[in-house]
Amino acid sequence: MIGGPVCNENLSAGLIFAEGQHLTYQNKEALWDIFEAIGKNWSNTIYDSNNQRSSWYEMIKAKTENAPNYSGEYVNAIYVLNELYDLYGKEEAFKKLFFESGVDNSAPPTTRLAHCKIYVVNEFIRMQVTAGGFKSWGTKYGGEQAKNYHGFLGGTRYNRIPKVRAYDPDTTNLKNDQE
Amino acid sequence: MKNQFDYVIVGGGVAAATLAKGLLEHKHDTAILILEAGPEIIAKDRRFWWDYITRGERPYTFTYDQKFEADSTGNIDYQTDGVRVKAYGGSTMHWGAWSLRFRPEDFNLFTNTGEGADWPINYEDLETYYNDAESFLSVCGDDRANWVPRSKPYPALPFEWTAADGEMIKAWEQLDVVYQDGDINPGVTKKIKSGKMPIARYRKCMTTGTCKYCPIGGRFNAQYVLDDLKNDSRFINFEIRINAPVHQVNTSSKSKIESVTYTDNLSGKQHTVIGNTVILASGAYNVPKLLRASKNEFWKDGIGNDYDLVGRFVVSHSMLNVVGKAPSNPNGWFQEYDFPTLMSHSYNTKEHQKKGKIFMFKNRTTPNVDIAQLMIDGKTREEIDAMVYGEMTVNIQAFLEEKGKFNNRLEAKPGKDRFGLPQTTVHFSRTEQEMKNANDRLKLLEQIIEKMGLEITSSRIDKPGGHHTTGTARMGTSPENSVTDKFMKVHHTDNLYVCSNATFPTGSAVNPTLTLTAMAFRLVDHFINKQPKINSKTKNVNKRDTIQKFLSGESHKIK
Repeated sequence: MIGGPVCNENLSAGLIFAEGQHLTYQNKEALWDIFEAIGKNWSNTIYDSNNQRSSWYEMIKAKTENAPNYSGEYVNAIYVLNELYDLYGKEEAFKKLFFESGVDNSAPPTTRLAHCKIYVVNEFIRMQVTAGGFKSWGTKYGGEQAKNYHGFLGGTRYNRIPKVRAYDPDTTNLKNDQE
Repeated sequence: MKNQFDYVIVGGGVAAATLAKGLLEHKHDTAILILEAGPEIIAKDRRFWWDYITRGERPYTFTYDQKFEADSTGNIDYQTDGVRVKAYGGSTMHWGAWSLRFRPEDFNLFTNTGEGADWPINYEDLETYYNDAESFLSVCGDDRANWVPRSKPYPALPFEWTAADGEMIKAWEQLDVVYQDGDINPGVTKKIKSGKMPIARYRKCMTTGTCKYCPIGGRFNAQYVLDDLKNDSRFINFEIRINAPVHQVNTSSKSKIESVTYTDNLSGKQHTVIGNTVILASGAYNVPKLLRASKNEFWKDGIGNDYDLVGRFVVSHSMLNVVGKAPSNPNGWFQEYDFPTLMSHSYNTKEHQKKGKIFMFKNRTTPNVDIAQLMIDGKTREEIDAMVYGEMTVNIQAFLEEKGKFNNRLEAKPGKDRFGLPQTTVHFSRTEQEMKNANDRLKLLEQIIEKMGLEITSSRIDKPGGHHTTGTARMGTSPENSVTDKFMKVHHTDNLYVCSNATFPTGSAVNPTLTLTAMAFRLVDHFINKQPKINSKTKNVNKRDTIQKFLSGESHKIK
């Protein structure tokens, strides 16, 4: 396990109770650092994730203004981050958190670190990939460029059919970028 | 609280929504009450949607039958868990929106094979109502497809085949799956081409995924329609009561249905509401249970059950599954949409009907790599890149048509479920011949996977299940062979109707929802005393000839 006494303090596995609590602007900025670091560590974003910032804010709002309230989890994640920053420095802290946390993602989270990984980091990863983070995959070998991750959300704010890589039986070239 | 209505509709799914909309638009002050046993699952909710995206949670799954609420007996397990949503909006809360018509031969299964049953109506009787249903659901489909006769184009353009479909299409071409004998008499008419899956887009689907919980109301569900009706100030006598399981249909004579009795799950109180017409629109599980539970001095064995037919002839679809893998995926193919885009047309000849028609499609999730899960598991970019272009899995699936058999029966078992409905037992067995037929069909799927150059890693016939259950209160020509007549009115009653998959004598090999919607439109027409558009089982009509011409290629489109 990484981290110190804060990260490894025991907690019950359920969502940290926080009904009625709200995040501050500073809280949100601290959490945004996690989201931004996900993109950087997997080279999977453009514009340092800023193209997803409004969607991310909307998710945070939905998760903290409706029950069950995630504010407690988010504040806990900030405690964990602060300890990791102190121990490893910011850049290395994220590498430890993403790649070496030692947290079992399929087990109930019983430490502050595990809460941070499962309720915050893992959910941010899902959001980052499904909300358009597929952009940088699918271009290897100069091959066809996949446009959408399975479960892509990019179209939900646009009044158009998102284009996919289509199969056109009338052409031998399967590349069918129609944009 | 109002307790007398022109129509009392039991069940709050697509059939109820279609009926209510049709009746209210015809006469705005029609008094209609819909009684739904389940709760309301809020649709288009951003928090629910984000929880679905980040945690894979769907807000309606808690309404699924649990094992203790629905079980089965027989020589094969019948899947009853996870197959139907018991909530306001019904199973359209979770459906895939695949919207396919039955074909003409599906209405004449017994005539063509000596097995199963015929419908008391023909495809031509329903054809114009299919148009209505497709328009209502905004089904997007390929007008160039010629697999079923149609008199109007689809209301929306189809989703394209994805690049990942390409290799399977080529395999189908090589195996003569793409082009099939298009007529019930093989070789007589032109070939039928495989196609693009018709999907109910409703209010313009704008996305490529998250179909199991739509954030914008893009995929049709009945709740949107019912909400619109509730909020329409013209419809002052329209009411929906949720958490209201109906457990008794009451009669004042053999033929006269007087009322229904339900329990308000929130107060625990029972209420009886009077309906000039009562429509059971609650699906193939609850309709037979309610009819049999409604025993009285006129109906000793339950309403419509004098011939012990209620709940019998359970029809399901068997799912066939073959999975293959390739050592690499150099193009990084994904099934980018969250629904299948490639489908075969069902095998339509009498011989195929005898064996059980199949309807094939590429699994909606393959090929795929769960990149997010790999990231969560701590894989690096380089490791994930290798996997994206590494081993590729493709899954071809098929629905196999099954035929109703007298001994396959759905009935109530003692006890109530969490929503106050009777618990369920399904008695279901397959014959050796049916298993042999299914295995023969499986071989075709295996050939396709092999023709794609893939190594087969799994080949199986899934257990039957309740996703598409039909037949449990089937339509027919007399009380001796059926529960309802051709207008879905229970025999020997004046005012009790069943608008449900339960009335389908056959299940074809395709999803039933579009056909149910068409049947609801037809019933609306019946109620508002319009002459039914066609009745080809009682008299010959020109339209049928026209459709036959279409099938034979003499006419490109029905005018």
